[in-house]
Amino acid sequence: MIKHNANRWLHHPHFLLQIYVVTALIVSTLFMLGSATAQEKKILTIGREGNTSFTRNFNPFSPSPLLGTFTAIYERLIIYNPTKGEIVPWLASAYKWSEDGKQLTFTVRDNVQWSDGQPFTAKDAAFSFNLRRKISAELYPYVDNVQAPDDKTVVFNFKTVYSPALYILGELPVVPEHIWKDVDDPVKFTNPDPVGTGPFTQVVNFQNQVYELHKNPYYWQEGKPAFDGIRYPAFPGNDQVTLALINGEIDWADIFIPDIDKTFIAKDPENYHYWFARTNFTAQFLMNTTVKPYDDPKVRKAVNMAINREQIVKVAMFGYTRPADCTGLSDAFNTWKNPEACKNDWTKYNPDEANKLLDEAGLKKGADGFRTMSDGTPIKGEILVGAPSTDWVASSQIIAQNLKAVGLDVTVKAQDWGFVIEQKQKGQFTMAHSWSSYGATPFDYYRGTMSSQTFQPVGTVTNENYHRYVNADADKLLDEFAATFDLGKQKEIMNRIQVIFAENAPTAPLFPSPEWGEYNTKRFTGFPNADNQYATLASRASTAVIVLTTVKPK
Amino acid sequence: MRYLLRRLGFYALAAWVSLTINFFLPRMMPGDPASRLFARITDRLRPEELEALKKVFGFSDEPLLVQYFKYLSHVLRGDLGVAVSRFPTPVIEVIGTGLFWTLLLGSVALIISFGLGNLLGIIGTWRRGGFIDSVLPPVLIFMGSFPYFWLAMLALYGLGFQLGWFPLRHAYSATLTPAFSLDFIGSVLHHLILPAGTIVLVSIGGWMLGMRNIMIGTLAEDYVVMAEAKGLPQRRIMFSYAARNAMLPVVTSFGMSLGFIVSGALLTEIVFSYPGLGYQLLSAVQNLDYPLLQGLLLMVTFAVLGANFIVDLLYLRLDPRVRVH
Repeated sequence: MIKHNANRWLHHPHFLLQIYVVTALIVSTLFMLGSATAQEKKILTIGREGNTSFTRNFNPFSPSPLLGTFTAIYERLIIYNPTKGEIVPWLASAYKWSEDGKQLTFTVRDNVQWSDGQPFTAKDAAFSFNLRRKISAELYPYVDNVQAPDDKTVVFNFKTVYSPALYILGELPVVPEHIWKDVDDPVKFTNPDPVGTGPFTQVVNFQNQVYELHKNPYYWQEGKPAFDGIRYPAFPGNDQVTLALINGEIDWADIFIPDIDKTFIAKDPENYHYWFARTNFTAQFLMNTTVKPYDDPKVRKAVNMAINREQIVKVAMFGYTRPADCTGLSDAFNTWKNPEACKNDWTKYNPDEANKLLDEAGLKKGADGFRTMSDGTPIKGEILVGAPSTDWVASSQIIAQNLKAVGLDVTVKAQDWGFVIEQKQKGQFTMAHSWSSYGATPFDYYRGTMSSQTFQPVGTVTNENYHRYVNADADKLLDEFAATFDLGKQKEIMNRIQVIFAENAPTAPLFPSPEWGEYNTKRFTGFPNADNQYATLASRASTAVIVLTTVKPK
Repeated sequence: MRYLLRRLGFYALAAWVSLTINFFLPRMMPGDPASRLFARITDRLRPEELEALKKVFGFSDEPLLVQYFKYLSHVLRGDLGVAVSRFPTPVIEVIGTGLFWTLLLGSVALIISFGLGNLLGIIGTWRRGGFIDSVLPPVLIFMGSFPYFWLAMLALYGLGFQLGWFPLRHAYSATLTPAFSLDFIGSVLHHLILPAGTIVLVSIGGWMLGMRNIMIGTLAEDYVVMAEAKGLPQRRIMFSYAARNAMLPVVTSFGMSLGFIVSGALLTEIVFSYPGLGYQLLSAVQNLDYPLLQGLLLMVTFAVLGANFIVDLLYLRLDPRVRVH
């Protein structure tokens, strides 16, 4: 019976037509299924190294919360954009100093909600500040108290006038009072399901090797973010991130890549891009000024002149940056630079002059060609640098060569960063390839290189001013700077500070460290770059949230 | 029975000695854990915030002996403390995030290289002078002599990146959630091939050569000659008599290797971004994270002791001479 029917079907006049119809139905169903998956969520993948596995901790008060805590989950009152040198109002729509500078008032927006639907108010900002102070009492000694007289106003009352506080207080992440007031131990709390005002607050698919943060259903900026979520895979080191970048699996990264045009851009010049803004800290070569002969400014200037910065920038840094000048300031502070300060710029490569200065300082060359102290003690130096940072290790090697050429017996000691930093913090080193203090104005840089406030004796840990230099004139000027709000006066003070820096050469500034940044425009557009400097490409900086709310899927 | 009790007593003593060394050794490393911690996070906090956090961690100033006894009592209670470098996550949780993958990677690689290596060793001696015996041992040892890191990166770049046959990282696809589905298990296996495969490649030579050498010795024994004289088939002699005796020293090595799986395959995890414990251990050392370091070392110690104990039990089964004693 069946056989008979099958036979009849095979000889049906419209047999072929039926085959075509069925095939078309199948294909279109598959196609629809395929496009159903195309309606998948649009997720931006961010590449960051240093993790093989994640533990679920989104607590902004703990020392190492997960990526995204400060950039996607919690937001700040204002954001400082170093590329344009301007303040971007964020949760606060305006700020104002009082006449006497002892009161800083922020006006916060009234259309902001937490990701659980509760309204955000000024009381949350005041609470966050007080909680932070409760956890660590020595912070912000210049602030007396903070008030939230109504839902829209936050008022900081100061004990002493301190103008740089605007950037410090304004950039503190704000947490919800209604959640955190019930937390017993705010530092031990891991905050596994965070509630924030940021663009991406919903933790989705948390695995130890990758996690995603999805859209905040109540985000205050209309129509933003323009995509569904961000994804952070765990990458142990730069190599793994680079491979993923080249393979087109990452949309946004901020790592150092050697020879980037050949390694990365050439693989897909249409979609692969990079932008290294020179607005980050200044990389410096430090000489421990408590160790002779580096207490002598002549010697420090000689060391500066002996260093071939052009070669360092070209060879070790692949041309990604430029040599520093004798103000030590990066491109973030171009409007602050004093053109008079570098009349005799000791950052210009001049080994002959360096030799002359070293001779004048009484460091005679011995029979082996290496200099000794005036009493004959040999001068030996070791440059401490973190071994994983290959660019800085190369830079240190060039410096060692340069210094040997003027008779200073210097070698490079590349160790792991934990060890290197500890030695610097305790002042137990002769030389180091290091960073600098860094903030919204040159104030932080000079405070970290010359101020008694950042100084600690050798053996006591300090987190700035590793080279332990103090200048009383600079101290005074820095205090004056902090006590005034008049931009004109600030610039005038800063000019004088730069002259002091140039006269004393407390460190050897090498180059502005680039703010690394790479991006892939295959799936998303709208990243900042040299033509559109609305933020940097640093994925952990305070400006990252501006990027997250500007980027759009294609 | 007495044998077992004696062994247990030995293991208890070994465990206590390990715990003590476990406690004192990290503290003998030069450096200050507080500074190391802050070294890691200098880019995210302002200097004065780092200073203030020191108090929070409560780095202890009590005398070392007091800390030691506190540590012992905590361990006996199962409290391994909080990982300083991943504050405030407890050590047990940090270990938990990577333990399964380390065990998976290590045991799969070990079992394959052990099984395959020993089989090849046995077959090689079966056909002395044949292809397997003459060519494979030197070739495999040669492969094993390459720096593992280089071999792994070559495999990743060639087979993963250029040819696209294997995934480039992680234990399973980033879009999947762990579940007992074919999808997930398939993804895990697919991701396991390169990491485990490269480990097998560098270690198989050792197992093969070891087994081969023991077998050659065993084959010279009188009972093998007698079995041949009695007319038993080659295969029966090979597997039921010679290999059974040759297994004993090999089982001991296997036991040791099994224990050390827990310490993680550091280089594999870095090259393939495999989320295991090897990198955690390195990170704990670099950060002088005593609680995490102690927790991880404790696991390794107990795993090795445990594996050894299992091997001892196995010996009872495999070697009748031990039973008689």
